[in-house]
Amino acid sequence: MSTVTSAVRLPQKGSALVFLQRYGVYLAIALLLLFNLFFTPNFMTIDNFRVQFIQVVPVLIVALGMALVIGTEGIDLSVGAVMALSAAVIPLYIGYGPLPAAILAVLAGCLIGLANGTMIALIGVQPIVATLSLMVAGRGIALLVADEQLKSVIDPGFLALGRGTIAGVPYSVLLALILVGLVAVLVNRTTFGKQLVSIGGSRRAAELAGLPVKRVLITIYILAAALASIAGIIQTARLSASVPSTVGNLIELSAITAVVIGGTPLSGGQVKVLGTVAGALLLQLIAASLIKHNVPDAYSQITQAVIILLAVYLQRGKAVLK
Amino acid sequence: MNLHATPILKSLACAAVLGFALTGCTNTGTTTGGSGGGSETPEGTQQSVASAEGPTCSIEDYGAEKIDLKDAVVGFSQSEKEDNPFRIAETQSIKDEAEKLGVKKLITTNAQSTLSKQISDIQDMISQGAQALIVAPLNSDGLEPALQAARDKNIPVITIDRKVNATACEDYVTFLGSNFVEQGKRAADQLIEGTGGEAKVAILLGSSGNAVTTDRTKGFKDQVAAEAPGIEIVAEQTGDFARDKGQSVTEQLLQANPDITAIYAENDEMGLGAQAAIVAAGKTPGEDIQIYSIDGTRNAVEQITAGSYNGVIESNPRFGPLAFQTLVDFMDGKPVGQDIIIADSEYDPSNAAERVNSAY
Repeated sequence: MSTVTSAVRLPQKGSALVFLQRYGVYLAIALLLLFNLFFTPNFMTIDNFRVQFIQVVPVLIVALGMALVIGTEGIDLSVGAVMALSAAVIPLYIGYGPLPAAILAVLAGCLIGLANGTMIALIGVQPIVATLSLMVAGRGIALLVADEQLKSVIDPGFLALGRGTIAGVPYSVLLALILVGLVAVLVNRTTFGKQLVSIGGSRRAAELAGLPVKRVLITIYILAAALASIAGIIQTARLSASVPSTVGNLIELSAITAVVIGGTPLSGGQVKVLGTVAGALLLQLIAASLIKHNVPDAYSQITQAVIILLAVYLQRGKAVLK
Repeated sequence: MNLHATPILKSLACAAVLGFALTGCTNTGTTTGGSGGGSETPEGTQQSVASAEGPTCSIEDYGAEKIDLKDAVVGFSQSEKEDNPFRIAETQSIKDEAEKLGVKKLITTNAQSTLSKQISDIQDMISQGAQALIVAPLNSDGLEPALQAARDKNIPVITIDRKVNATACEDYVTFLGSNFVEQGKRAADQLIEGTGGEAKVAILLGSSGNAVTTDRTKGFKDQVAAEAPGIEIVAEQTGDFARDKGQSVTEQLLQANPDITAIYAENDEMGLGAQAAIVAAGKTPGEDIQIYSIDGTRNAVEQITAGSYNGVIESNPRFGPLAFQTLVDFMDGKPVGQDIIIADSEYDPSNAAERVNSAY
């Protein structure tokens, strides 16, 4: 008798929790939109949403790479430094045109990814330690490359990336959508994606099953760096200046938060691409709501911390259920 | 996918090597560099003293040994990374003046915005034989061990741009710097004049918990409250003294309050970010929405001449001449002021074109 009742109760309790874990981020977005609809002037306008989408792009693109890394049970703290390096490289080569400069910026960023991947996959350094060292060293390199100076970038073709639109949709947003699509296909439709997830599930088992664990890991960290570099390029175009000292500061935290809120567990083995997009949008909406209501900085920081705690708490519940 | 991973990796590695090889052939094209790095100081940009009232300090009071700067080792400790025009111009000015005066050796260090590094920088310079120190403190507090090390050897310390919470003429000789409250007040005056005393203003604050932020906010708000009842402050949000944050925050504020008619940014970088946000919102900066900020960087002053920026209060970073003059006077046995406030100039549409060369 007792087994029956517990069997009945557990799924109920579980299903509420599972629902929150799976759809909590969408629910939160819906609630915030509703709140802003009633209490924030001029919120439900196309211009406003354009602003929010433009602003979310760098965090979103970085978060995509972070989701891949977290899927392998890793973490990448160096993404902000990678953004800084790619921003620093742009003004050096912009004379060759926007595209060559952008390609070189991505390549420079990939070098950091390669260093991360090599340390983690081949030498066996823990991801948090390896990427922490490049988080510090990478920004140093960026400042060296940039001669420690802010440089204005005025190439009109390059600036179009930050300002241009197609049918009202900014280039940067379009680019982000394409990247979301590519990452979603990579995760869900390719062998590489399956390998990534199995490594996150159990690296030992993946090795025993004969998967190319080291190669996949190195590639993942390079991909994460490539995505962060693109974010750095977009940010530079938007600012029309390369600011390696501040660009991407603390973005690793926003990206990790977006990934976790989006339902990808820090313990790896899963990658929720759409959830990550929603997570990034939620963070953006929270920041926007707080600024629009002129909430003092200290309270904004506390509010954001509470939301992150809540998200991580829900994730913890998921680990228990699993 | 398995089969493809290796070539992908290899090509990436090759490309990476290529990237290294290419660093030798940079092409900055039409990019303009940071403007503060120029070594020549234009005429009429030298700091002048606004007030040096109050107690003074002489070499006997402090108890230092008299030295001739031409045979002396002087140490300069910079606080923040030199990636913003203010810091670049400040360090350059110290270096230029040391060269001009023929100082035997100038040691410069940069604490990279880390307090512990600034303390060890100063201690290192003392052990390298520095006989006088010019320090741009990172914080008002926390430098005590470094000041103590200088005190132990009776090395005179001149602090610039930020004041430390310590006793002048005892822990250090003197402070040279701007009055940040006054800067905020003057920005308010410019804004009141430019808007005719009727405006809805958004304030872009500096970093939270920074004395410069507090002072520039206080000066501005007090003056607006006292002088212009028609000016309403509709929002105040931090932009962390950074261009990107200034831009994104302004975008949000303009969306929520389309009736904003003026922006007060507590440094030029945030003001320039706000300018980009105003353009993105389809409005004309300088006309639909006026922008006022503090610093006096070339980028911002050039925008005034272009008509898309309204006013800049200067915070003069060229401490070299005044700092060394103070040091020379001090060594000559003349009493120097313990609190030397420098006169900052200002830029507006009437003088920006003529004075843009004195921006840094």
